[in-house]
Amino acid sequence: MSDSSNVKFRLNNSELWGGLIGLALGIFVIRSGLKLKLGTINDPGSGYVLFYTGILMCVFAVTIIVAAVTEGGPTFGSRWKDARWTKPVIVIACLTAFAFALDPLGFLLSSIPLMILLMRLIDPVRWELAIPVSLIVPTGMWWLLKHVLGIQLPSGMFGIG
Amino acid sequence: MDTLINVAHGFGVALAPVNLLYCFIGVFIGTLVGVLPGIGPISAMSLLLPVTLSGTPESGIIMMAGIYYGSMYGGSTTSILVNIPGEAASVVTCIDGHQMAKQGRAGPALGISAFGSFIAGTFALIALMLVAPKLASVAIAFGPAEYFSLMVLGLVVLTFLTQGSMAKALLMACIGVVLGLIGLDSITAQPRLTFGRMELIDGIGLVPVVMGLFGVAEVLLNTEQVIKRDIINAKITHLLPSREDWKASAGPMGRGTILGFFLGILPGGGAVVASFASYALEKRLSKTPERFGNGAIEGVAGPEAANNAAAGGAFIPLMTLGIPPNVVMALLLGAFVIHGLQPGPLMITQNPGLFWGIVASMYIGNVMLLVLNLPMIGMWVQLLKLPYNILFPLIILFTIIGVYCSSNNVFDVYVMIAFGVIGYFMRKLGYEPAPLVLAFVLGPMMENNLRKSLILSQGDLSTFVTRPISAACLVLAVVLLIGPLLPALRRKRELVALDEGA
Repeated sequence: MSDSSNVKFRLNNSELWGGLIGLALGIFVIRSGLKLKLGTINDPGSGYVLFYTGILMCVFAVTIIVAAVTEGGPTFGSRWKDARWTKPVIVIACLTAFAFALDPLGFLLSSIPLMILLMRLIDPVRWELAIPVSLIVPTGMWWLLKHVLGIQLPSGMFGIG
Repeated sequence: MDTLINVAHGFGVALAPVNLLYCFIGVFIGTLVGVLPGIGPISAMSLLLPVTLSGTPESGIIMMAGIYYGSMYGGSTTSILVNIPGEAASVVTCIDGHQMAKQGRAGPALGISAFGSFIAGTFALIALMLVAPKLASVAIAFGPAEYFSLMVLGLVVLTFLTQGSMAKALLMACIGVVLGLIGLDSITAQPRLTFGRMELIDGIGLVPVVMGLFGVAEVLLNTEQVIKRDIINAKITHLLPSREDWKASAGPMGRGTILGFFLGILPGGGAVVASFASYALEKRLSKTPERFGNGAIEGVAGPEAANNAAAGGAFIPLMTLGIPPNVVMALLLGAFVIHGLQPGPLMITQNPGLFWGIVASMYIGNVMLLVLNLPMIGMWVQLLKLPYNILFPLIILFTIIGVYCSSNNVFDVYVMIAFGVIGYFMRKLGYEPAPLVLAFVLGPMMENNLRKSLILSQGDLSTFVTRPISAACLVLAVVLLIGPLLPALRRKRELVALDEGA
């Protein structure tokens, strides 16, 4: 790791942020454990294991933070260096939109546009190939599941599928 | 004699036409996902977990097991021909296998890999047949303290073997335990971490978590790279290795088989560790270690035998103790649970048809794999030419369908997408998902056994150290936890550190 990408005390240290998120989660788990009641050692309650797991999480998170501060760690930028970071962002956006559309529109009306978008936006597939694949595969899967395996996929408000 | 009768009974189950069909589907899909980089046995098994519901438990488990050991065969094809590991256990095969292919020896490399896999797979099955019933009779004496300590050991071994910082791996394991505890408390029926959502009362499903962390996250990671494939286009000939090749490979194959089998049994171990360990061993034993990395056939034979033997050995802790030693076995445990079965010490005696049927099907599956991987090699080579920009959207669509079918619940699709995004950022920041998933499965079992042992011992913590098996597991776990502080052990850990996610 070059000096420019390995930072110690700066906020751009990705290891530091990873540790801080772990610490926050650990504190949340400890609080949840306490709320659920710990019980006693000869009759542990619902929060017993959560509480002690939370403590362990905090210990490991602090270890990561200490290592990040003393030894440094790569910056966020260096983690994505030479990577086409826009591509995963596009896929995540498509999947999020799909998640919102799945229930109201149903499987067919949401998965066909998802396939077209993914095929055209990741590394563009020719339209004459992208359209048939995007139509045939989800429709074929829907038919197979519904008529052969007897599994009903969401049909949405239009009742398509 | 009893064993032979049981095996005959097992073949009776495995040779039923429907089970033969499921076995073929399993090994075929296993080879397919092994060949295709970016999708491994974990994704394929979670995708097909709901399909197992449509048949008998025997058929479902036979298919799932077939996917696992089938992927071990298929992974080597991609490693040798494309220099990209088809799945994680074939990473080492790339080193010498692809060099052999470049030198025009792709045929012998593929041949020795398939024969080595077959021999090791068969050995592992014989050992599984002999060891599992004996271990099961010992395991009946296991109490909650032993189970708890063994699971702790399994998790620590996996975190020890995971790439990168051990603190990160342990943090992941803790998060996995917490995620596993979401839902109703099995003892008090109190809802935990459900945030008032009815969907979380039964906890988070294994399938959406695994599909998100391994399927969607893998696609996200792959889309940000331009994947270049250096496919060997020359016609593949001489698949049957020569006498010299056999002579050079016999020793590595034998050693790899034994080493792989024992590493497979180890909780937290598995095929990936076995292949790395075998490669390191062969290089160390070789009189000409400089040949390794330049097309040494020993570098293909040893690791390929080791990963297949480990795949067989990994069934032992699951079948005899009910404890999955790795993520793949955790999914297989999921398949058992879906059918209302609990693998463990009593399964072999209470459900002999299932146990011996699975073992016998693995013999048949190994023969099918030999046929699939040698005479049909041309078909897999064609498949390697499928463009990624078509493959990735298809994988995403199949994961969505697989997750929805596992529960008929749109909420699980949301969970999968969320874990896909989380998994992507985890990998980017150097946090491996394997300890999280294994802890997610083991978490509720660990909690149950911990609470039971504390109740039984009336709060006496010494119960964990006064019982010999429990004490031995905990001592080993402590050694592995403090081990990385010692430079010599840290170097060894870095040598065998693995990426189970691939």
